[in-house]
Amino acid sequence: MKNFIEYIETSCAGLKDNHMAYLYKKKILDEMTDRANEMTHAGLKDEKVLADLIASEYPDLKGNFAKFEKEERKRRLSKLLKVVLPIGGLIFFVLMFVAYFSISNATKAWDKTWLIIVGGIFAMIIFYTSFGIKKLCHMRRIFHPIARVLIAGCVMIFTVFVFLFWLIMIPELVFWPILPGGIILALVCDLVFAFATRQKFRTISLFVYMPIMATMLYIILAAYNVISWLTGWPIILLGLVADLIFILSIVVGNMKYFMYKQEVED
Amino acid sequence: MERRLTAELWDKMHYLFRDFNDRMVHVELNYDFIPDIEALKTVIICAFEKAPVLHSKFVDTKLSTHWEVKPYDIDDVFSVAYPENVQDAVDEFLTQYIAPNADIQMKIALFIKDGKSTLCMVENHMCMDGGDLKYFLQAFCENYSKYVADGISPVEFRTGSRSYDDVYSGFSKTEAGVAQRLFKNINAKDNHKFPLTPNNIRDKSFIARKKFSEETFAKLKAKGKELGATINELLLASYFYSVYELAGYPKTDKVMISNAIDLRRHMDNVEDKGFTNHTSWMQCAIPERGRDIFETIQYVVRSSNKFKKDKFMGLYGLPLLNFGYNILPHAASEEIIKIGYSNPLMAMSNIGLLKGSDFALAGHEPTDAFMSGAVKYKPFVLLTATTYRNVITLSMCVRGNEEDKKIVNDFFSLMEKNINTIIG
Repeated sequence: MKNFIEYIETSCAGLKDNHMAYLYKKKILDEMTDRANEMTHAGLKDEKVLADLIASEYPDLKGNFAKFEKEERKRRLSKLLKVVLPIGGLIFFVLMFVAYFSISNATKAWDKTWLIIVGGIFAMIIFYTSFGIKKLCHMRRIFHPIARVLIAGCVMIFTVFVFLFWLIMIPELVFWPILPGGIILALVCDLVFAFATRQKFRTISLFVYMPIMATMLYIILAAYNVISWLTGWPIILLGLVADLIFILSIVVGNMKYFMYKQEVED
Repeated sequence: MERRLTAELWDKMHYLFRDFNDRMVHVELNYDFIPDIEALKTVIICAFEKAPVLHSKFVDTKLSTHWEVKPYDIDDVFSVAYPENVQDAVDEFLTQYIAPNADIQMKIALFIKDGKSTLCMVENHMCMDGGDLKYFLQAFCENYSKYVADGISPVEFRTGSRSYDDVYSGFSKTEAGVAQRLFKNINAKDNHKFPLTPNNIRDKSFIARKKFSEETFAKLKAKGKELGATINELLLASYFYSVYELAGYPKTDKVMISNAIDLRRHMDNVEDKGFTNHTSWMQCAIPERGRDIFETIQYVVRSSNKFKKDKFMGLYGLPLLNFGYNILPHAASEEIIKIGYSNPLMAMSNIGLLKGSDFALAGHEPTDAFMSGAVKYKPFVLLTATTYRNVITLSMCVRGNEEDKKIVNDFFSLMEKNINTIIG
């Protein structure tokens, strides 16, 4: 124990002597003590070797302090959020109803103001789900598909709200193409997530999604009379063309590897 | 909190080999003194702490695999015995089996008799191959010596990545890109078997050995120079010729023997890498037996030169294996890989030169040293060669019966005869 304290103090010399530094040193000391117990249990009797062996597992104590500080801040924030989020949710819920009743009473537009409740609930669902998604992203890869499904779910909830808003507020405009628009947005978000987190089969996802997105684009453009339903269908083919271009770019990118010729030394 | 280690590609591959061999690697070092037992225990614990995979349990959940680091007691790892018959005790120790789901993956024993000792080690091939085990032993002996002589703590063991893709570290960016796209499966199948008896539930593991004297080694070296062949190629040619004779294959048959190659040759630096496997196969095939052993040598040299000229020797199929293990749940990947993988029926592994100074404990060099690969399950066989103090030891670890033992010894006699023909 004394050896570890001395090692920690020597290695951390120069660090500001504040509470954070104390927490760091305490954490390291606890870890070292646990490791010492494990090794003693394994049968290591030589105190000097024990100290050197454990010290060798902590070669850069000073350098790791910044990392610890960052993690500690994150931990504190997450602890704070655990308290703030439920209370904040409750306050938001109350404010949402206050806003609903006040605005409804003032405007007498009860047929429209229910959107405040729906929007508020949707916003809360998306807000709380985003924490779940963040947590899933830090878990093992096997859990990442759940995050992808949740992201798509959030996008679709958002789309449904926009759809309802449009339906109620601007009923004279064609509103249903919002839904295929939501599908495009969900697929784009999924691709961004897949590529950013280097998911397996991300390129295959791209191949599959591009024709779907092109089809949705065709529906939206045709619905708003930008193109004709009868003659605009080649847009769907554009998805396949984009796939082809993507395949070709991969092939061209890899060409130098496939064309590589070894210099044979005789 | 539970500590987990990633199951690397080669860990999973060697796990897959459970149908072909017992995955144990064996070491025997004989000394003419008795080492300090407490010091040995200390060094072993340090080595285990530096390489946690050695005290880990392999967990196969069917969906995925990983190592789970386990607590251990040095007495479960290291034992000291004073047997009457040291060789029997050594053989019994070396032919034991450590299950992948055991809490420790390496066992060490010290057998003492008449002021002499034999240090034996058995480890799971999933943790490291012969190349790294050689380094491990070297570091082990060096740490022991420094600890005993100067009281320096034995903590100088290599640690770091165990990933298979470290093999690309010595290549330029383009070359690494090429190597990482070598999806071609060059695993050719050959049905010629070593003529062992059929499998039987009474079969037991045994290690058969044959030594070739210092004089033979020197002559082989000289003859190799003359013929433009390495000692490994001469041994391989002799293996081919002997197996033709033993099994009675028609002289015109094409036969294949796989030769283990150390992929570390492609790496620029292994100092920052952990203990792992980096071994692949080079398939050496000869079109026919040849009129005499010298023609067989020519065929072997030709075949092995073809491989040596290839910059990416041994790297073919690795990306395919990695892809196989990555796309599907573990159990499904294994089934898919088994379809494309054919384990060599006959193989050879030349562990190479064991330097006495590398294995010296407190200044005492081993009087004899020996390493061998896994105990193969019939009909698979692996011939291992090690050279210590210019004495070549050939060994074959087989799970078989007395008849198989005799067959293997007959094979060694044929090897001896053919090596004598080579050296004249």
